[in-house]
Amino acid sequence: MNEDLVLQIKDLVVHYETEDADVHAVNGIDIEIAKKRTLGLVGETGAGKTTTALSILNLVPNPPGVIKQGEIWLDGENVLEMKPHELEHMRGNDVAMIFQDPMTALNPVMTVGDQIGESIMLHQGLDKKAAFEKAKEMLKMVGIAESRAYDYPHQFSGGMKQRVVIAIALACNPKLLIADEPTTALDVTIQAQVLELMKQLIREKEMSMLLITHDLGVVAEVCEDVAVVYAGRIVEKGTADDVFNHMRHPYTEGLFDSLPNLKQRGEELVPIQGLMPDPSDLPPGCAFAPRCPYATEACTKAVPALQSVEGSATHFVACTAYADPDFKLRRNRDGK
Amino acid sequence: MASKTILEVQNLTKYFTTPAGQLHAVDGVSFSIEEGKTLGIVGESGCGKSTTGRTILKLIEPTSGKIIFDGKDITKYSRKQMRPLRQEMQMVFQDPFSSLDPRQTVMQLISEPIIEHKLLKSKADIEKRTLELMETVGLAERYINVYPHELDGGRRQRIGIARALAVNPKLIVCDEPVSALDVSIQAQILNLLRKLQKDFGLTYIFITHDLSVVKYFSDDIAVMYLGQMVEKAPSDLLFEKPTHPYTKALLSAIPLPIVGKEKPQRQLIKGEITSPVNLPDECRFCKRCDVAADICKQGNPQLREIAPNHFVACSRV
Repeated sequence: MNEDLVLQIKDLVVHYETEDADVHAVNGIDIEIAKKRTLGLVGETGAGKTTTALSILNLVPNPPGVIKQGEIWLDGENVLEMKPHELEHMRGNDVAMIFQDPMTALNPVMTVGDQIGESIMLHQGLDKKAAFEKAKEMLKMVGIAESRAYDYPHQFSGGMKQRVVIAIALACNPKLLIADEPTTALDVTIQAQVLELMKQLIREKEMSMLLITHDLGVVAEVCEDVAVVYAGRIVEKGTADDVFNHMRHPYTEGLFDSLPNLKQRGEELVPIQGLMPDPSDLPPGCAFAPRCPYATEACTKAVPALQSVEGSATHFVACTAYADPDFKLRRNRDGK
Repeated sequence: MASKTILEVQNLTKYFTTPAGQLHAVDGVSFSIEEGKTLGIVGESGCGKSTTGRTILKLIEPTSGKIIFDGKDITKYSRKQMRPLRQEMQMVFQDPFSSLDPRQTVMQLISEPIIEHKLLKSKADIEKRTLELMETVGLAERYINVYPHELDGGRRQRIGIARALAVNPKLIVCDEPVSALDVSIQAQILNLLRKLQKDFGLTYIFITHDLSVVKYFSDDIAVMYLGQMVEKAPSDLLFEKPTHPYTKALLSAIPLPIVGKEKPQRQLIKGEITSPVNLPDECRFCKRCDVAADICKQGNPQLREIAPNHFVACSRV
């Protein structure tokens, strides 16, 4: 594996096997994150974003989740072949995760100082008192007064709780931070504060981050690289500039057309037709074909592989339409 | 004036008594909406926007003020008097997890208002209408016999929307109706709500924290902070000339999906919304405000018309 990569996922396939159906949540995802880079994994509900993240920690609930194939290389070690004690060491130490809902991520009957200290004790072998002192430092780092280390989670607002969760995640200086919709539950002004804080801490601690979100605005704010996921596959990836300003995949275009942000009032939004396919019953060929305005017969024949866009080293798209060298997305026509 | 005012709210207040003191959830809110229009109420958690919506529908009794719906003063209406009116004013709730009975199937949930208000009699008609509503809100037919817990938040919210639409109301209070939906689906629902408005002349009160959604959707926008309206203006005007410091901060906090191109400078506001209990007589935003001065501590500013139809409550303007 490449030396500079903190995380490399190769051809990951995860199914949830239930009595009724075999849910194909992740269907061959490849991801690389280099040192100090932030990758945004964008997609809608059920695209397989969270399952991918849980796989990195080998935390996919089993049963019903089964990692069918693939390799996950974390700093030179394959997570999927780790023994339980190795996994335990890796989780929290090398990789930390922030969940969407700060309200349920914290223990309601433990002071926040103790909760931050707990992970420091566990991973860094400090005694309780030293760990609590370190916890206070961590609180200060995320912008909370040290004196509040003695308070319980219910005494904090949502934004403050998420800061506490960030403090816990960063307490052991992980190499990789996985943030699963970290600001979705927060108000916009608080979201802006928390995103600013995360950006600053990632820079200071020279961490890599995998940011999972459905919000393209948040991605633009934080991420250097972007991967767009649809029905368990990456349909387009590249630098933020590649994906935002030179997008190639019809689904990416559809996502941007759906955003009310930049539209004028009265202008019709252009939603993507139809619904996400049922992951237990994916259509043949390209999973986006049934909703795609450009789809042709050929799209239903085979699953398109990620291919470099015009020889770019960073920008890749998985779309059959580009077999025709003259094909362009609507927004890329008229010389835009 | 040709269009008719369907709802008028005058000086509406709702206080809750808590052990710590009076909680000013809604504190002197006034506005009116014309038939077929949309008023967006924007603000963050705890600003009283949901309480305002619920009080208008009399799901919560107001502490004081007046609510005039369709020419009738419904402020003092009893539950029984409200019953026939429920068909005309509906609500789409914020949380699709707690607003649906977990023991009812999708069929039962959506047909419930139809049966409750005796809109259709025969079982076949009710089922047909339910399927039609499911299609309108984008729920696949195969979900008809499933329970809410089997569905994701997005699909549950669609059930909520279908339930509100089922009785063909005049006014719908939409409380964060698309916050739980994915963007591609959100756009479908927004287009759908807009189409329904055009087709049936619906009036909406659109309560949300998402400014980009209200901008797209509303004729007028009211920004709330700690129970009060701090700015109210036609949608375009509010976005062109945001005047209250809080409105400005709120607008600049939206993360824009733009990379590499010119992006407006972010203005972060410090701190968080203060407690709405026992509020002092001063501007409610002054503790977080960049331009706060001594005058802001002397009394709570009220809405003033600074330009035609543009109302701002700020002593510094």
